[in-house]
Amino acid sequence: MKTLKKLFALLLTLAMVACLFVGCAGDTPATDNTPATNTPATDAPATESGTDDVEPIKIGVLVADVSGEEALAFRSYYENYIASNYNVTFSYTEQLEDAAAEKSAIEKFAAQGCQAILSFSSADRATQLDTCIANGLYYAVASGMLDDAQFETYKGSEYFVGQIGPSMDTEYEAGYAMGKYFADKGVKTVAMYGAFIPNPMHVYRAAGVLAGLGMTYGGASEKDAIVGQIFGDQGIDPSKVGANGVELIGYFQGFGDTTFDELFAMLGQGPDAFLSVGMATTFFTDALNGAGVEFSDIDSFTSANGEAMANGKLVYLAGKYSSSIGPIFAAVVNAVNGHPVRDAEGNALSISQDYLVATDADSFAQYSTTDQGDSPIFSKEVLDTVIGENVSYDDFAALVSADRS
Amino acid sequence: MAQSELVKKHRVRELLVALLPIAALAVLFGALCLVVNIKGYRLDMYLKIVFNEGVVLAIVATGAIFIYSLGSFDISLGASTLFSATIGVMVYNASGSLPLMILTIFGVAIGCSLLSSVLASVFHIPVFVTTVAMMSVLSAVAAQIITTNGGALGGIGIPATVVAPLDNVPFKLIALAAFALLCVFVFDFTKIGRRLKFLGSNAVCAKLSGIKVNVYAIIAFVMAGLGVGLGAFLTLVYTPSVTPTTAGSIGMNILVAIVFGGMPISGGSRSRIYAALVGGFSYILLNNILKIVIDSGAGYGISQIVSAVFFLAVVYVTSMNYRTKLLPR
Amino acid sequence: MEPILAMKHIRKTFSSTVALGDVSLEVYPGEVRGLIGENGSGKSTISSIAAGMQKADSGEMIFRGKPWRPKSMIDALQNGVGMIVQESGTISGVTVAENIFLAELGQFKRLGVIDRKAMNRKADEALANIGVKDVRGSTPMAALDFQTRKLVEIAKVVMKQPSILVVDETSTALSQTGRDILYGIIKRFREEGKAVLFISHDLEEIMEVCDTLTVLRDGARIRDFKKEEFDPDAIRTSMIGRELQGDYYRSDFTPSRLDEVALKAEHLQSGSALKDVSIDFYRGEIVGVGGLSHCGMHTLGKILFGAERPDSGRVVTADGTKITNETVAMKQGIGYVAKDRDVESLALNTGIRDNIAVAGMERYAIGNVLITNAKEKRYADQQIQSLSIKCAGRDQLVSQLSGGNKQKVVFGKWIGRGSDILILDCPTRGVDIGVKKAMYELMTSLKKEGKTIVMISEELPELMGMADRLIIMKDGVIMKEFQRSEDLSDAEIIRYMI
Repeated sequence: MKTLKKLFALLLTLAMVACLFVGCAGDTPATDNTPATNTPATDAPATESGTDDVEPIKIGVLVADVSGEEALAFRSYYENYIASNYNVTFSYTEQLEDAAAEKSAIEKFAAQGCQAILSFSSADRATQLDTCIANGLYYAVASGMLDDAQFETYKGSEYFVGQIGPSMDTEYEAGYAMGKYFADKGVKTVAMYGAFIPNPMHVYRAAGVLAGLGMTYGGASEKDAIVGQIFGDQGIDPSKVGANGVELIGYFQGFGDTTFDELFAMLGQGPDAFLSVGMATTFFTDALNGAGVEFSDIDSFTSANGEAMANGKLVYLAGKYSSSIGPIFAAVVNAVNGHPVRDAEGNALSISQDYLVATDADSFAQYSTTDQGDSPIFSKEVLDTVIGENVSYDDFAALVSADRS
Repeated sequence: MAQSELVKKHRVRELLVALLPIAALAVLFGALCLVVNIKGYRLDMYLKIVFNEGVVLAIVATGAIFIYSLGSFDISLGASTLFSATIGVMVYNASGSLPLMILTIFGVAIGCSLLSSVLASVFHIPVFVTTVAMMSVLSAVAAQIITTNGGALGGIGIPATVVAPLDNVPFKLIALAAFALLCVFVFDFTKIGRRLKFLGSNAVCAKLSGIKVNVYAIIAFVMAGLGVGLGAFLTLVYTPSVTPTTAGSIGMNILVAIVFGGMPISGGSRSRIYAALVGGFSYILLNNILKIVIDSGAGYGISQIVSAVFFLAVVYVTSMNYRTKLLPR
Repeated sequence: MEPILAMKHIRKTFSSTVALGDVSLEVYPGEVRGLIGENGSGKSTISSIAAGMQKADSGEMIFRGKPWRPKSMIDALQNGVGMIVQESGTISGVTVAENIFLAELGQFKRLGVIDRKAMNRKADEALANIGVKDVRGSTPMAALDFQTRKLVEIAKVVMKQPSILVVDETSTALSQTGRDILYGIIKRFREEGKAVLFISHDLEEIMEVCDTLTVLRDGARIRDFKKEEFDPDAIRTSMIGRELQGDYYRSDFTPSRLDEVALKAEHLQSGSALKDVSIDFYRGEIVGVGGLSHCGMHTLGKILFGAERPDSGRVVTADGTKITNETVAMKQGIGYVAKDRDVESLALNTGIRDNIAVAGMERYAIGNVLITNAKEKRYADQQIQSLSIKCAGRDQLVSQLSGGNKQKVVFGKWIGRGSDILILDCPTRGVDIGVKKAMYELMTSLKKEGKTIVMISEELPELMGMADRLIIMKDGVIMKEFQRSEDLSDAEIIRYMI
């Protein structure tokens, strides 16, 4: 009897929780009740005006990183700045783990009536594109770039809006510039953090750093050869590094139980500088400031990084600013509104976006303060210049490559 | 009260507890339909998505029931799904043969499973321990293969057109049904299933009843390997590529699914094949309902917390019957 | 005189099993009341309800004139009802003193630190109080043997000076010295006008210790006996509910067997447990193997069944098949009832049907592979019926059965598959008289069918009562072989055992 009672109580509780959900669901504004259309609204009126009497453009955003400072800054730019200046709503995924999660997230966005997908997730971009095409959704790459062969395959698709971001070459260059900065400065010994190698982005950056420091890897000094070996080794093997003036006294990657032990062991050898290809400012700023070792990273212009540069030992930061994802949004709006921007052959946009580099508090402050809150670098005024019917590929290229510093 | 009346009451309660997971599945299904409708989303698409998300989990978990019924545990199933899919992709890209790829996937999956169980019986250590080792090894090797071959893409894949014709609900439904039927047959209508359950109930007694513990552990792992193989193949059917994170969440989700299905983790006589199917789909339904209802802007992790509460509630209900049954003597 | 504790209309069920159906019980000041009954009669249940270990479904209790509703055993002990439980209630990782003062370490706290010296001193006093002088409070619990741990537990309960002491099957764990200590405490309770509830299987002991005796059967109070009415036969009869013939062993005294060897043990050697043991077992013969617990007889049983490998020597059947493991043994028609029933012979949280069926699948599996529910049910039902297993149905969990019925399930498992050679290790351990008798009858009839029975037992009377041939072992060696005879004397047999 007791058991039955317990069972009953439990069922009641569950029922109550269920009611709660249904109640919540009912509370959402009616504007969410988008009619279920899959075809892009090619003849819809332009939405630049930000008026509310037209259906907003619904964009689904694929994200693999939900908690990083950079990811949060991006999200804040879209959801706070863009959404309040344009008639658009953004739906974000939870953390996407793999290609299957990406695909089903896109399908869910389609079921929810989204018209376009902006992707920050890169497990399988080809499948993302295939899924968008199958569901009639516009697709744009918001971070990184497709591999050349993939771009060739999809560049002609009407649903592929394009890609604006650092290409792998740009990543390599960013690493190279960082390495060269320290080599030119005359450091003799460096320690290096490889972040999440074999993440391709980190591999290319790390390869660039080695080359920039004037080092060889496994005897190679060419980009492709270094990159290939790092992929093969799943990291950097210090014994394969050929020094030329600057010595690599330690290398580690990943983040786990022993990461800090590795870091402190390395700092104990007193390197002149600590070079990171990503995430160091998130993980190690305090430790590095405390050890008094100058360090560098490729990250973004966040307030914490500004503090580290002004009062700590961060001396070099290559970064994206949170509004760097503005132009690709503009391209998506154009596509949804029926005047996609294509190159002369009718292909999708593909524009590489460089990193900005700060080496002192002043240059840092410039990038960060101008990109805060209501006055981002890619503000509504700037973006409006590339939203509309008569915008060309070159307009975009000019906008993206204009020197923002 | 007469003994027979008590017995009847007891049976009713047993039945209730047994039916609860199925009732929960039905309720969750209804709830999904409701929230999708309220939100104005497309139900047909959502149902297809839920099926696609659930089918691999349900299949791998169904195979895993054989291991769980032993009261054992295999946390390498996700990794072996990844590993077999990876090898399958490599074989396809080298040979261009779909049948060969399928054979390879099944072979590798069963091989991995066998290796775990044989290692365990050779070294006389709990199978669970070998599966922990297998998990690390398999995912590391798969990641190595994928990143060295995938380079800047971060993943490797087969041409989408190869398996695209199979990426439809009927095919997957048939695959699921066929595998589930095979498992039900082996589990409920052969000596193998009875003995596995008994082994899970009391291994010492099983051995003294003439059951060769190692042999049956190996059989259980082979069945689980079959599930992994099919799961890996269907993973490729859905997305024709593998990355180091592919199927990463399956290992833990299997456990959740089996518990949601009302089967005790300790295995034994209350092991049921349908627990994996019911639990797998219940879990996916629940996740989707929560994701629809809880706006992602409300903060990441809330839906996981609610899931966890549900999980504990289910564990409570399913174990309830056990705990009140304790006689002092 | 007012009873010190009155339990009225107590009812308790465990899922489908009625443990107590409306039982009332009174205990008076200065009384030592015995509770006796078969396994599952409800004697432990009612005493554990009185001591707060579990709660009744209905009914009320009056203790010293006030309603008695203990929240827990600790609550009950602090308010005057203490219980020494059947299984060890101590924790082995800590010291004797910590065990004794487990729930009240606070009283030794000085400036937030526990004063171990004071605590150990108090513990020493508590132990000395019951007459235990060679154990100190500072001794780690793990260093003590089972009996001494039991004494620590007794000290812990007695120290609280309860008005009622519940002693549940405690004496079986104690040696004579330990028992004397316990009996001394009981005597003191009686003299101080307190009361004792004494639960035991041992009829002789209970008649010795108690003033009154209450017999429980199937969750009901059957009869009370006053000291002057004590009569073993009458008590036994009321325990099992029917007349029991004074002698339930075999009535004949001539050894008999078929002239055909069924199983041979040849020069078995196994560590220090077995030293060059050779025995031939014949068809239609009950071979008793006796000795002290560590004489090697239990190892012998395991080796005969292939569950353990001997260091050297071998076990072979009549046709020369060597028994190397359990599977081979079973193929040769050997069955094995293990000593540790709950661990080795049964899967407790599993139904009767599965437990019976597990060893006999080849009897009903189609093509030795396919199992249908109908056939399996029929197979299990046959055993349940022929052995009269008392249960609520074939799918009832074995854990819910009484010891005797559990053992019947084990027998069913081996007899159902038609075993020709049965190795029974302590087959009547923890089994009540009624089932014991049934087991003996079964063994006799199996013998008549020409089956071979190896009965390993620590109870001399049943070995003498049942065996055609009695083998006495000591330190792994066969000391003596006795043929069945009316003239066997236990004194002589014991001489070879120790």
